[in-house]
Order: sequence, then C-alpha cells, then structure tokens
Amino acid sequence: MTKHFASTIAAMISQVFILSSQGDHLIYKDFRGEAGSDVVGVFYEKVTALTGDQPPVVMNHGDLHFVHVRQGGLYWVATTTADSSPFTLIEFLNRLAALVKDYCGSLCEKSVQMNFALIYELLDEVVDYGYIQTTSSDVLKNFIQTEAVCSKPFSLFDLSNVGLFGAETQQSKVAPSSAATRPVQSSREQGGKSEIFVDVIERMSVVIGSNGVVMKADVEGEIRVKCFMPSCSEMRIGLNEEFSIGKSQIRGYGAAVRVDECSFHQAVRLDEFSSSRILRLCPSPGEQTVMQYQLSDELPSAPPFRLYPTIERDSGGRLLMYLKLRCDLLPRSAAINVCVTIPVPRGSVSVSQELSSPDQSAELKLQSRAIEWRIPRFPGGTQLSALFKLEAPALGPAPLMEVGPVVLAFELPHLTVTGLQIRFLRLSPVQPGPSQRWIRYVTHSDSYVIRV
Amino acid sequence: MTDSKYFTTTKKGEIFELKAELNSDKKEKKKEAVKKVIASMTVGKDVSALFPDVVNCMQTDNLELKKLVYLYLMNYAKSQPDMAIMAVNTFVKDCEDPNPLIRALAVRTMGCIRVDKITEYLCEPLRKCLKDEDPYVRKTAAVCVAKLHDINAQLVEDQGFLDTLKDLISDSNPMVVANAVAALSEIAESHPNSNLLDLNPQTINKLLTALNECTEWGQIFILDCLANYTPRDDRESQSICERVTPRLSHANSAVVLSAVKVLMKFMEMLPKDLDYYGTLLKKLAPPLVTLLSAEPELQYVALRNINLIVQRRPEILKHEMKVFFVKYNDPIYVKLEKLDIMIRLASQANIAQVLAELKEYATEVDVDFVRKAVRAIGRCAIKVEQSAERCVSTLLDLIQTKVNYVVQEAIVVIKDIFRKYPNKYESVIATLCENLDSLDEPEARAAMIWIVGEYAERIDNADELLESFLEGFHDESTQVQLQLLTAIVKLFLKKPTETQELVQQVLSLATQDSDNPDLRDRGYIYWRLLSTDPVAAKEVVLAEKPLISEETDLIEPTLLEELICHIGTLASVYHKPPSAFVEGSRGVQHKRLPGSTLTPSHRRPVLSALPVDNLFFFVCSSTIQLGGDIGGNPAMGAAFGAAPATMPASFNAPGSGGLDDLFDLGGGVGMPMGALNPPKAVWLPAMKAKGLEISGVFVRRAGVIQMEMTLTNKAMSVMTDFAIQFNRNSFGLAPAGPLQILTPLSPNQSIEPLNNLQVAVKNNIDVFYFSCQYPISMLFVEDGKMERQVFLATWKDIPNDNESQFQIKDCHLNSDAASNKLQSSNIFTIAKRTVEGQDMLYQSMKLTNGIWVLAELRVQAGNPNYTISLKCRAPEVSQCVFQNYEAVLKN
Repeated sequence: MTKHFASTIAAMISQVFILSSQGDHLIYKDFRGEAGSDVVGVFYEKVTALTGDQPPVVMNHGDLHFVHVRQGGLYWVATTTADSSPFTLIEFLNRLAALVKDYCGSLCEKSVQMNFALIYELLDEVVDYGYIQTTSSDVLKNFIQTEAVCSKPFSLFDLSNVGLFGAETQQSKVAPSSAATRPVQSSREQGGKSEIFVDVIERMSVVIGSNGVVMKADVEGEIRVKCFMPSCSEMRIGLNEEFSIGKSQIRGYGAAVRVDECSFHQAVRLDEFSSSRILRLCPSPGEQTVMQYQLSDELPSAPPFRLYPTIERDSGGRLLMYLKLRCDLLPRSAAINVCVTIPVPRGSVSVSQELSSPDQSAELKLQSRAIEWRIPRFPGGTQLSALFKLEAPALGPAPLMEVGPVVLAFELPHLTVTGLQIRFLRLSPVQPGPSQRWIRYVTHSDSYVIRV
Repeated sequence: MTDSKYFTTTKKGEIFELKAELNSDKKEKKKEAVKKVIASMTVGKDVSALFPDVVNCMQTDNLELKKLVYLYLMNYAKSQPDMAIMAVNTFVKDCEDPNPLIRALAVRTMGCIRVDKITEYLCEPLRKCLKDEDPYVRKTAAVCVAKLHDINAQLVEDQGFLDTLKDLISDSNPMVVANAVAALSEIAESHPNSNLLDLNPQTINKLLTALNECTEWGQIFILDCLANYTPRDDRESQSICERVTPRLSHANSAVVLSAVKVLMKFMEMLPKDLDYYGTLLKKLAPPLVTLLSAEPELQYVALRNINLIVQRRPEILKHEMKVFFVKYNDPIYVKLEKLDIMIRLASQANIAQVLAELKEYATEVDVDFVRKAVRAIGRCAIKVEQSAERCVSTLLDLIQTKVNYVVQEAIVVIKDIFRKYPNKYESVIATLCENLDSLDEPEARAAMIWIVGEYAERIDNADELLESFLEGFHDESTQVQLQLLTAIVKLFLKKPTETQELVQQVLSLATQDSDNPDLRDRGYIYWRLLSTDPVAAKEVVLAEKPLISEETDLIEPTLLEELICHIGTLASVYHKPPSAFVEGSRGVQHKRLPGSTLTPSHRRPVLSALPVDNLFFFVCSSTIQLGGDIGGNPAMGAAFGAAPATMPASFNAPGSGGLDDLFDLGGGVGMPMGALNPPKAVWLPAMKAKGLEISGVFVRRAGVIQMEMTLTNKAMSVMTDFAIQFNRNSFGLAPAGPLQILTPLSPNQSIEPLNNLQVAVKNNIDVFYFSCQYPISMLFVEDGKMERQVFLATWKDIPNDNESQFQIKDCHLNSDAASNKLQSSNIFTIAKRTVEGQDMLYQSMKLTNGIWVLAELRVQAGNPNYTISLKCRAPEVSQCVFQNYEAVLKN
C-alpha cells in the first residue's frame, strides 16, 4: 500500500472490475495502487448480502467506496478512496458496458471472458491513473489494436438479448433491434454490409384517479442510433416539422408534437434544428443515445387504457370484482403483452374467474397479494371484461380499502405517445452498395396506475 | 479459437510451457502466450516467475503485443524491481518512437510502475513528452506528472514539472487542459496552502473556453475546479454562471451535477433582487427533474442531492411536486427518498394533492413504505396547518383498516398532532383507545400511554388503561417504562383520590425494582416532588408544553452548507462531510459557501417531532459561585474560588441525566427545598434562546456569592456542552467554577447600572447573551464592620463632594429593627446616637473589591421617611447602595 492523499476530485477511480453473477473475477484493473485485489471478494460478499430495501448504489469498506451497476448479468464495479462523484462513476460504468458491448458484440459473461485482452486495452485508454479520458468509440477506434472475438456468427435473426432503455421488453417478435448485436470493429473488415438502426423509445407513467381523472401523465423518450456504416461521415435525422420544445410555445391547430425538455448527445449539431428540426451528427460506430426528451403532466391523446371496476361483497362473504378494461388506441394499433395487476385484500385464498376471451389468463399470486391478468394482444377501440370471485374467509374490517391501485404493464409497438416521428434519415456521402436503414418506434409502460 | 481457453489452463507444468511459448520465434505464438499469462494474472495466479521472459517480448513492433507486455509489467514491476530495470531501456527508447501512440504508451506505463529506481530514468522522457507535438502524448504526460508526484513529490518539484503542468492549462487542446487541471487539482490537495492552482480571472477564462470543447469527462474536471474558485464580485459570479448554464442540458448526469454545484455555489453571491437570479432559479429545475427519468441507481443518487438542494433553496423545485410522486415500480429506496422530498416541498398550495397521494401509498403492500407514508401524513398535518383536519380524518380512516402496523404508525403521529394543535382533535381519543390491545411496538405503546396520561381527565377509565400496561412493566422497553411512569404521575396529579395506589405501585417499580438509572432517577424525582410539594409537582409535571417544530429532520445548516459545496459527490449521498469518510482528511478543507455568515458554533436546534421520550422537558438547576478578582482584593477572589462547594456548579448534559440536579438529590445540601429561596426572575426567555430558558437569582450564603440559575430546556433536543462567561463588570465578578472561557462582550458599562452583569451561556446549540442585575448587597463582605476610630477618620477624610443624600420613604421600622435587618445583608451598625428624638445610625459596609461605603441613617420616631447620607471614595456606587437599603428595609 502506498501513501496517498485524500482527494475530492470528482472523477477518480481507484479500481475497475467486472464480476460474473457468481462472483468470478472476469476483469480486474487497478489504476492507483490504493487497495488490493482482495476487495473484489469483499464487494461480492456485500452485494449479495444486501436486502431489498437497502440502496445498493454506494457501499463502503473502510475508506474504499464501491459503486456498481448491473449490465448483461454482470457486476460492473468501480472503487474510489476519494470523495468522487457517484454520478460520474455510474455514468462511466454504463458507458464502459456500452463500449464493451459495441466492441465485443454482446454483453455476457462469455463475451467478456473471450475478449479480456481487448477489454484491458480499452480500459487502459479509457482511464489513466483514475482519470476518465474518453468513452467515445469514435476516438477509441484510433487506439485499439485487439480484434474482438465473437462467440457465434452474426445473424440478423438472432433475436435474443434485447435490452432497451433499461427496461426489460418482450419486443422480439416486433422489431429487429437486436440485429445490431455485433462488434463495431468487424464492420471494418466486412465492409459490405452497412446498416443503421434508429429507435424512438418512449416510456409513459400515468396515474388515473378513482374518479377517472388523469392525475399525472409523464412521457420520457429517447432516440437511439446504432450505426454500422463504414463510410458514413454525416447523418441527418429529420423530426416532425411541428416539433416544439418548452411550455411557452403557442400551439396552432393540427398535430403539433411538443415536449418539455430535450437534451442532445454531445456530437449532435443543432444548426438546422431550430429552423427545420434536423439533427446532424457524425455517428460513431456503435450505439448512442442521440436525443432524450420528456413531457410532463400532459398527454397529446387520451391515455391508452381505462378501467371500470365494480367491487362488492356477496352474501357468501366472497369479494366480487367485475372489471371492464377499454383500450383507447386507434383501431389499427394494438397493445401487446398487457399485464394487469390487481392487489387484493389480505386473507384472500383463491380466485375463480370469467374472462372474455380464451387467450387471456389470470392467476392469483399469493406472495405479492395480487391477481395478474394477462392479455397477449389488445387491439385499439375494443373492450375486455373479467369477473373475479375472491374467496377470502378472513377478511379484514375494511377489505375494499385494500383493493387497488391497479397497475398495467404493456407495450405499444409502432407508436409514440408524444407523436414524435422520424421524417427522414439521410446519410452522406451517399452510401455505395446496399445499405439497410431500420427505424422503429415503441412505447412502454413505465408506471401505469389506475386507482380504484 | 477464443480467449476463454486461457482461463482453463491449470496444469502443473503450465509455467514451464508458457516459458517455452514466450521464447518462441513466432510472433503469433508469443502473443498467445502473453495473453495466457495475463489471463492467469486476472484470476489471481502468480505468474511473476515469467517476468524475464515476458520482458524479452517487449521489443517488438507489434503494438498489440507491446500493450500486453506493458500490462504485465505494470502488475509485477513492483515485486521485481531489479528485473524492472531491464525494461527501462526499452521504455526510454519507446518515448522517442515516431509513433505517438507508442510514445504515449511508454510514458503512461512508466508512470504506473511504482519503483523508485525507475523514476530517475523517467524524468527526461517525461520532460520531452510534456512538450510533445502530439496532444495525445501531452495529455498522457500531464497525468504522468501526478503519478510521479505520488511516488516522489520532491523529485517533481525539483525537476520543475509543476511549472510545465501549469503552462499546460493554457494548452490549445482541451483534452490536455482537462488532464492538466485534474493533475494539478490532485497535487494541490496534498499541499493545501500552495498556490499551485492559481485561479484568477485569466485562468478561469481559459478554463471556461476549454469547457466548451472538451469531452464530457474533461468538463467534469474543469467544472469541479471552477467550483473551488471564489469570484471577486457578483458580476464575475454572474458571468461565470452564464457560461456554465449550458452544461445543465448535457446528457451526462455527472456533468449536470457538477454544473449544478458551481451554480448553487456562485448563486450565493448574486443579489436576490437581480433578474438573473430568478432566471437561474428557473433554469435549475428542469435538469434536476430530468435526472429522475434515469435508471434507479442514478435516480437514488439524484434524489439524495435534490434533498439537499430543496433544503437550501426550496423555491427551485416548489412547482415540481408531481415528479416526486412515487411510481409503483420504483425500488423501495427510491420511494422512501421521494417521500422525504415530498414532505419538504409540501405547502398550502399543493397539500391536497400530496395528501391524496399519501393516502394511496398508505394502502400499498410494502410495509416500510406504508409506515413512512403514514408518518408523512402526520408530518403534513404539522407542517401545513390548514391541512391538519384532513390529515387527522385520513389517519382515522387508516386506523379503521385495523392493519396492525398502520394503526401503530398512525397513533405515533397523532400524538405529535396533539402536541402541535392542543385542544383541537382530542375527540378522536376514543377511537385510539379502541386499538390499545393491538399495539405491540414500543414507540406506539409509548405514544398511546402519553396520550392517556396527557388527557387523563377526559378518559374515564384512564386508570384502568394504565394499570393494564403496568402488569408487564418489567417486560416493556425503556421508553414505554419511562412514559408509563410519567403518565401515571400525571394521572395522579389530575385525579389524586382514586389513583394513589397506582402511583405508589409505579414509583416502587421504577425506583426499587429497576436497574435502569434513567428510570430510577425519574422515579425518585417524582417521588420527592410529590412528597415535598405537590403544588410544585403539578407545576413541573403538568407544565404547558412548548410547541413542536414543524420542520423535522433538517440537516444542520453548517453541514448543509458544506454538503452543498460537495453536490454530486459521495458526501452528498452519505449526507456526511468528506472528512467523515475519506482517509487522510487533513488535506480536505471544510468548504463554505461564499458569503456564508455561519460559523461552526452557529447552530440551529434541530427539533424533532418524533421522539416520545422528550415530552418531559428537562429542567436543570445550577448554582455558580462567584468570586471577585479585581479591585485590589486578590485574597478575596481566591478565598471564594477555594470555598467548599456547597452547590457544585453542574452544567453537564441536562438531557441525559439532568434531572438529578433538579432538587439536588445529591444529599448533604445546605438549602432546604423550596424554603428561604428568593424568587427567581426570568433572565433569558426561551423565545430568545432557541429553547433555553434561564431564570435566576443572586444570593449570598456563608460568605459566598452564588448565582443560582435554572436552565430549562424547552426545545426538544438535548442540550449539552454548557459553559458560562461574564462580561467584564464593575466588581469583577467571575465564575469560580472551572468553566470554559468565551469571547467577552465588548465593554459597554457607561449606560448600564453598575450592578449589571452581562452573561454568556453557551451550549451545543448556540451562545446566548443576556444581562441581569444583581443586588449590590451580594458584594457586601462579612468583615465590613469598621473600627469606630477608623470610621470617624475615614468619614472626615472623604471629601464632601463624595457625599450623597437620599430619602427612604414609607418605612415603618424602628432603628433597632432596621439595624438588625441591615446586618443580615452585611451592613454593620458601628454606633448609634440619639439627637432630638432622632436616631442616627452610623454604618459601614465593604465591597468585595475593597471599597468601603460609610453611611449615616437618620430615623425619626413617627416619621416614616428616613434620610440616608452615603460617603464613599467611589461615589458611583452610592446609588446602588441606596437602592439596596431601600430594598432591604422595605422587604
């Protein structure tokens, strides 16, 4: 152990290591010689001993502080002895994971293990003496020598391992986003296949009060680009022309698309943005979030789902819940993988159900004290109903108070709730040979709550 | 062929095989071998034996292989310092390589090899690299200076690298600037007083220019460096803010937080009526809100920071209440933080909305969250008066659910609501009493017992209820036991006839059958109080309680200021200053906001509404012996100082065991309780002293001047660390006890009466100043009787100008009675003469500082008006002495 001084420099990393979910050491890099490699074990013990209600974000062992994120089933850990910024460390670890994914093609124990030499090389360029240098794949490609090793040949139809926007998704049947799962560098050699993926992903949080009034409605969205264009120097993404930012703007008639706040990737140039809503950027190879935006307290259209519940106790002491669920999307769209969670009173034992169509299913989960009602596909403009009879021999004195709020989880493919659309995607210079452009839209429920 | 195979070799002859491969002629084979070595290194195997063989691979033109070898070197050079020297030549050569990548790689790796012998060889190459034409090499070299400084600080200074590093702040490449700033910041922290990072408007300007061009990580270094700068005036402050504000919309949350830190700090310097101040406030809200859409880890860290920001500047987020409403899928630690911020932002404007949310939360599944939500409803009631009624009815609804933990939490908060709004919501007591049996948590039981005791007169069966708790007295936790004791004593004072047995039972349980000193002490106090003076007992036990404070859990302001200076860092997540968790914190200075008026001793009491135990307020009585120590009578002062302590001054924590002092249970006391005790006057009202009330009286007993003070803690937190100090005063009164010295007040004696005493009392909360007047008779010493001859000579000796005459009206004592009375105040009659039916009393008295006062008192039988002539070498005291005569004679 060497002498060192306490520092309050915000971005100072002592060590970085990557562990498998079983705690195997995959990567270990010490930047400052402040602590030994034995802390890796300490970290794993601590993180596995955490209970659900303890914030896992920052943990300490003596003077050493651990910050970690979980990506691809792995623990990505940074340690520091200084009063560093946890924001910096978390952002850094997320970028590191993204870089590893870009370089190795996918993010899993195996790909990290196979490419350890590459990852060490990356780490050496990304951090020097604990100071973060760069995480831009564009800059890094000048320095990195090692070739990535792929576990299996890249296939457009390999639709496993889709992780979007931090949310688990069941997107696989809808869009080929995971087609982008391949190392950025291989495109150098492959040369032939050039592809670009642009995803517009939105998450909505809605609270509908028991009187049917929308109490809160927020949308968070982002535009993501994953680029495999060897010769692309500039790309222009055109958004809806009537796109506006901020609350003060006067809205005309028609379908203006409005968000409250917008932030852009560092590489995005906005000189054409204010006039014609065009984002210009030189895409670095790999994946990047080009734009993030949010809209709070307002939805441009009606919330996609409404619930009409009737709950009563019958003479036999059972609780009858009659639920009508309406999907207010346009008829040509549909929600998929809808899951309705209805909390039930303590003391509920079993449920019998009558559902309006055979593809639906429902089940009482005693552990979470809720009924889960699943609807694989729910077209716009239709209505479903369900009757649940709840056997609860030992109901409390106020069972109706314990029912609800109902929570919905769903996906809305091909749809953005804000109405944001990509008008066009132009690449320059004009790409020689065949190139593929994928643009897709999806909206997820983040927290869709209907109070009863 | 994949790399994973490297992890599988565990055979015995492994090292031997690797050795052979490393020495192979084929480049590919060599590379594969080095990879295997590094794989073994990663999983913790010792491959240091291969050092020479790996070093042999160093001289290669294959960059990939070279990088691998360097990686190995960094790890093992320290354990093989002699071998490491072998590599030096190659390093030095590589630093001259035409390829900048290799030059940078060499200088980077050399800096990481923490071997003293190598550092000598490092200096020359480093010097060249710091001036390299390629920015990539320069920025690597800048970092290398910090590395070298850590190994050998002296060498870095001697070689002049620090100056070169300072020059790099003006480099044309922003990446170089950022790394130079980072390196200098770190080096500067190990020399806290050095002027290394000389921040002046010129350098600040350079940094701000680089800020726009460098990478996000570089921006963080620069912003953190800016945060350490103190602008010279508000205009400079504003111009820096203007140039930093665009960073708020950066996608990287670390950049955003570093910018927020700079702005929060520099905002302190802006006048609040400035338009720009308002603009800035508005600009701070959106980026903070945006952080809440990040993944839960970042959200949590952001919420911890927002919690600080909201305490410092609630106006920033006052309109953003909705974003803190919890989502059902937030992790519990995020939910709890959000709830905390919701309460901090709750106001009359949004209370309806907040309450509706909280009510929903209170029916959720997660127990911890539900509990906190119920508490939050109570806190809203206390914070926003208009909502109190609605909160109470919401709480009653929740009690109806009969969910055990909900009921218990509700009762705990209802107790606080009773404290805040006395005589308003007591109608709900009946509902509360119904749930008595279901309470199994100490806090809820204690709260319920408090309610029963406090409102015993309105609860018909209060005695039965309390008696039922008494059965298992010894199994209860301390807080319940203490509460039960107090409640039963209250009950007894309110309904003495039917509860005598009960009170005796609890007193004997508390004093005789308990090992807990707190409980025993409280029991004894009540016991003596009740047996000596039930009226006083009623006054003490049933005294009106101070209102509880509405803001709870506030961070202490000096800490808050320091934490604001550390926004975005670990300190802001732990809510602790960095010195509390960073090793070697001598290098870390406590940061202050610019323009801060707070000094470390300047603290606000943090009143908590929650602890039940504090509902009894702590009264501490203390007596200080005073000694005069100026005015030419040192012996007197010494004598007083050494006088046996009849009433030892005790200023130790009244919160913990302070009750001991209440009626001086120590034994062997010369002062019977409640007798002959002049009434105390309030010297320092609690309003003025953050809850500390001081009342007192001066008495002179057995030749000792005593200042008896009653310190009453009317706040709800414990006060400790008491100390006292008197300002310089006419008679040199000073505490004789071993008390801490504070800065005296500035002398201000001309306007004040002579017998005015300015006192400073300090505790853990603040220093309080007050002044009080002591009767001058305190100062009359026992040996103040003058010899007749001396009296006559002195009387003549004192010039007539020094004589003053006063009238004492309406006094009906005869001269002997007057003489006796005065003698008890150490005013001695030396002679008495009767002339024409008029008694002339010649009297003397001596002050502690050796001043003699001579008096002639004329008393005419039948005339209630006395005439008094006073002669003294210090005529200033005459007025006081006259007043004292008047006081003594008329008393």
